[in-house]
Amino acid sequence: MQRRKFIKDTTLAGSALLASSLYPFNFLQASINKQTHHFTILHTNDTHSMLEPFANDAKYNAGLGGITSRSAYINEIRTVVEHVLLLDAGDIFQDSAYFNLYKGEPEIKVMNFLQYDAATIGEKDFSAGIDNLALQIAKANFPFIISNYEFTNTPLEEKTVPYVIIKKGMIKIGILGIGINLIDLIPNNFFGNTKFKNPIRTANEVAEKLKKENCDFIICLSHLGDKYDDDTLSDEILAKENFFIDLIIGGHTHKFFKQPRKYFNRNGYVTVVNQAGWGGLQLGRLDYKIQQTKNKNLHKNETILIREKNGE
Amino acid sequence: MPKLSVILCCFVFLHLSNKVQSQKTEVIYQTYTINSQEKNDTAITRLLKPYTDNLQKHLQTIIGFSTRALYKKMPESSLGNFLADGIKSIAEKLFEQKIDIACINYGSIKHFIPKGDIVMNDIYQLFPYDSYLVLQQIDGYNLQLFLNKIVEQGGWPISGIKLSIKDKQAVDILINNEPLNINTTYTLACNDYIAKGGNGCFMLKQLPSINKGFLLRDVVIDYIKQQTKLGNPIEAKTDKRITNTL
Repeated sequence: MQRRKFIKDTTLAGSALLASSLYPFNFLQASINKQTHHFTILHTNDTHSMLEPFANDAKYNAGLGGITSRSAYINEIRTVVEHVLLLDAGDIFQDSAYFNLYKGEPEIKVMNFLQYDAATIGEKDFSAGIDNLALQIAKANFPFIISNYEFTNTPLEEKTVPYVIIKKGMIKIGILGIGINLIDLIPNNFFGNTKFKNPIRTANEVAEKLKKENCDFIICLSHLGDKYDDDTLSDEILAKENFFIDLIIGGHTHKFFKQPRKYFNRNGYVTVVNQAGWGGLQLGRLDYKIQQTKNKNLHKNETILIREKNGE
Repeated sequence: MPKLSVILCCFVFLHLSNKVQSQKTEVIYQTYTINSQEKNDTAITRLLKPYTDNLQKHLQTIIGFSTRALYKKMPESSLGNFLADGIKSIAEKLFEQKIDIACINYGSIKHFIPKGDIVMNDIYQLFPYDSYLVLQQIDGYNLQLFLNKIVEQGGWPISGIKLSIKDKQAVDILINNEPLNINTTYTLACNDYIAKGGNGCFMLKQLPSINKGFLLRDVVIDYIKQQTKLGNPIEAKTDKRITNTL
């Protein structure tokens, strides 16, 4: 049907010879239209230095969580899935004795071992001061992405990046990071001269840049929190106010999402938001299917299908 | 035929410049509850072992000795008085200024201090989560509201104050042995949770606070170590700083 239309168009252009000579191109286009790619995003947030599982006699979550167990789940997925992206949305530090004693070193070393691809910064990551955060980030094999903090003249200057681009198979994935405003949230001396840029404007600027770099998929790691009763900036607001973000991996509010939330952004496309509780109790997984197409007119209000994975 | 080749070139160019777009068609989600009783990766256990071993040693470090167990109780208790007095004393040292009142909410204390050797872990059980010591300047009017809130909830650990409870109101209030003055500004040391308005302390929320990142747990550890260094055992008693009037 498409081919017939193509021939008709070229006939109108006035050359039957041209049509037949272009036949192979048409064939090529058809094959590109059908290219489907898969990749899997695994994510954590607000793990709060809880390297050990909750005690077996704990009132809540007894025996759950723990980094040795999280590693086993991640390893299992890696054995069956080729393209895995492992991400964290911040608050890696604070709230276990490990952090009080070691200030974050074992957390970072384990994340290196688990091959995290990227993380953003939460307010609790500053809890042993900005000097300590710089010291610990230097031990990480993965980038800390934060787009809206300005660290000039602080120990974190040039220790973080505003975005990264990671290729998984044929898919180019751009990742940015948006942090919460630290003023009145943590002691001022913890973040020193750190300046804050407008989160929505910055997210849109960086995402547009990633789009221009031909990223097929754009992720925002966010520590804003999923949503609030008042007009406090949240993932929900960012999801509605952005233009190019496909997925927001959130944190801060410690929410156990029953399923990812779907919003329509300012371009009329879908921005998905997900969050995986806290304390290392959960690991979120999103398997994306992407079709690369030469069709110029992508459907507005693209209805991405979100469904739960059935038993393997 | 030059004309045809120009058309052909244009066409090929237009065709190739038609950029590849990515259409997200489907996302399948799954959430794993991490269950350490189901599976574990021993490689991580090995990686963490030096940290875990050393942490266990650290938590078993003896920092003091108590002549009897200290428990929390309302309206006043040995444990509550010990903690509030200790926080007031260490806060004066840390902030290098005189502090009139120290108070933490009853719920912030999660355990007790056992009789005998006190180890680091006992204080971690007392305060399992990191909360901060905060200073606030509070006027007499708001202080009265704050004290009313405390007695309304049964009486919290407090230092630097003596008061009676009458009809769920704080009365006969003495601060530094002087009656509460509505026009005086007092310095209050408390935990960041109530300073941010937690546990009904709305009157504290509006006050500016100084938080330099001192952990409440560390403050208490400091106080116990200080007492031990002076050769003092850890002991405390109730001294009728909060009394019920019938």
